[in-house]
This record gives sequence, C-alpha cells and structure tokens, in this order.
Amino acid sequence: MHEHVYDVFARKSRGDPLAHIGYVDALDDETARVYAWKTYDEEHWFEMCVVRRSAIIPVNREDGPFAGGGSEKP
Amino acid sequence: MTEKPGPEDTTLDAPTHSALKRLVVSLADSKRLMGIRYSDWLLGAPSIETGIAASSMAQDEWGHARLLYAMLKDLGADPLEAEHTRPMEAYASVDVLDAPFGDWAAVVAGMVLADGAITVALDAFCKGSFDPACSRIPKMLAEEEFHRSLGGAWYRRLAGCGSTEATELLRGATERMLPPLLRWLTADDQIEALAAAGFTAPGDAQVAAFRDAVRDVVAGVGVDVDAVRIREDAWDPSRGRGPGHPDADAVERARGDRNRALFVE
Repeated sequence: MHEHVYDVFARKSRGDPLAHIGYVDALDDETARVYAWKTYDEEHWFEMCVVRRSAIIPVNREDGPFAGGGSEKP
Repeated sequence: MTEKPGPEDTTLDAPTHSALKRLVVSLADSKRLMGIRYSDWLLGAPSIETGIAASSMAQDEWGHARLLYAMLKDLGADPLEAEHTRPMEAYASVDVLDAPFGDWAAVVAGMVLADGAITVALDAFCKGSFDPACSRIPKMLAEEEFHRSLGGAWYRRLAGCGSTEATELLRGATERMLPPLLRWLTADDQIEALAAAGFTAPGDAQVAAFRDAVRDVVAGVGVDVDAVRIREDAWDPSRGRGPGHPDADAVERARGDRNRALFVE
C-alpha cells in the first residue's frame, strides 16, 4: 500500500516556536496523526501537528530538505 | 442513586457490591488481554510506525488495566491478588481476546471491534456514579480516541485496497468477533441491577452505542451490524462472559509468572 511522508512539528509550551521534530510514513492523514503522536511521545507536548511533505511549498530554494515532494527524508 | 461509593464504602448491598466488582474485573482483564494482543504485533506489523503504535497502545492498555485493578481496593478487594494469582479459568476478559490475532486483518478488526466494545463499556461506567470510575476513566477514553482513529483508518484502507484476500480476511474476523462482543455488551441481571442503581448504562443502550460506533466502518466489508445476531449460547454469570478463558501463555504473561521471583511492588 502506498504511503506518504508526513513531517511532524511540535512545541512544548504555548510560547515556544513550533519545531520540526521528525517525520512518519503513513497511509493517510488519520494514520499520520496517530503515528506522530505515538512515535514522538518523549515529551508532554503542548501542541503537535503533521503536514504531508508534498503539501509544503518551497519559498526561496528548490533544493531544501522539504522540497522533495514527499520523497526526501531530512 | 445519589450517594457515590468510594474508598471503604459500606453503603452498597452485597449483590450490588459483587456486581460492581465483577464489572471492574471484567474491564481490567479485558484491558490487560487487549494489551497482550497488541504487544504480539510490536514486531511484524506492516510498518515501523505501525509497530510503534502497537507498542504504545499495548502500554496504554496495560496502564488502563492497572488503574482499573486499583479500583478493586475501593471495593475492599486486593488488586495484587487479582493481577497476579488468579488461574486462567477465573479471567473475565472479553471472549474474542482468548486467542492471539492470527493476522493483521484480525488485529485491525480487534482494534475497531474489541477495543471499541471495551471503550463503550468504559464510557458507560465513566458516566455512572462510581466515583473512582468517574475520575480515572476520562484519561483512558482520551487515549482510546487514538486507537479508534488508527483502527478505523486501517480498516477503511484494507476494505478499500482492492485485494480480495484482504477484504475476506477482514470480513471473516469481523463476522467472528461481532456476535460474542454484542453478547458481552448485552446486559445480564447483574449489569441491569448496576444500571438501575446508576453505576452504568443498561445493556441495550451499550449495544446501541456500539452499533453506532462501528456501523459505517464494518459496512466497508459488506457487514450490516444491525443484522448481526447476538450470540445466545452459554453464559458464565460469575465472570460476565461466555465459557472458556484466555490461552495459558497469555495468562502467564498477564500474571508475570516468569519473573515471579523478581516481583517487587
């Protein structure tokens, strides 16, 4: 079954910057949510979110780590 | 019932006290066995992320079981005895967890159906008037939301992947699990007495909640949950489940037999 790369972002406290903490391979948005929450559970996160890497739009360079449209894993 | 029983409560009559204890043991044993069945798939799940999720869910279930067993103390019983000394014939876990899941399709069906049925029973208990349940179960239900989400997503994916084999395996597991789970949620006299006293919901309400929770998901493999007949064979009122018991290996793991000499509490 085809999987997508989802990047995981989280912050520990309300005022913290949202940081990229890793990625998961998932079937869809729903499984990505669960995999992210269960995989990166070493902290008591205030907020966590995932975004499909193919949805990330590069702004200033096309060779950045998130510009692979889902195929690259920084 | 307006008074809420708690630690060292003495207001319950003997039949209600006994029924409440049976309900707690049934939920705790089911959680413990659910954790063991998830733990079987830490390795061998379809992806590393799924294995990690299975590991985490196993931890969730064992944590829930520990909290539920601890409620026995509020009912004057010894949680350690319940956790570590009972023979397998005394386990009150839901019937469909008696044997390991044979394949990933069965795990997915178990996530949606077995874990789902236990969650319905927990939710009903949480909304009743037993104080320890009201305070400790909400966190379990929040964690179960992730189990439901993962189970539903995998179920829909297998049901719609175009593989006849996957669909057949999923349908077979679903058709095997539904009748005993519906029977488990259908109240007997003890549950009806607890419902009348305000400790949980009546059986028909729990069955309806379960059907509502899984109806759309199981329709994906052509199963109409409203048409599934509730199993009507033998019933063990002392445990609130059908005849039989979990396999010996699972109970040895649940009790911690192999490390008994190292037991520290």
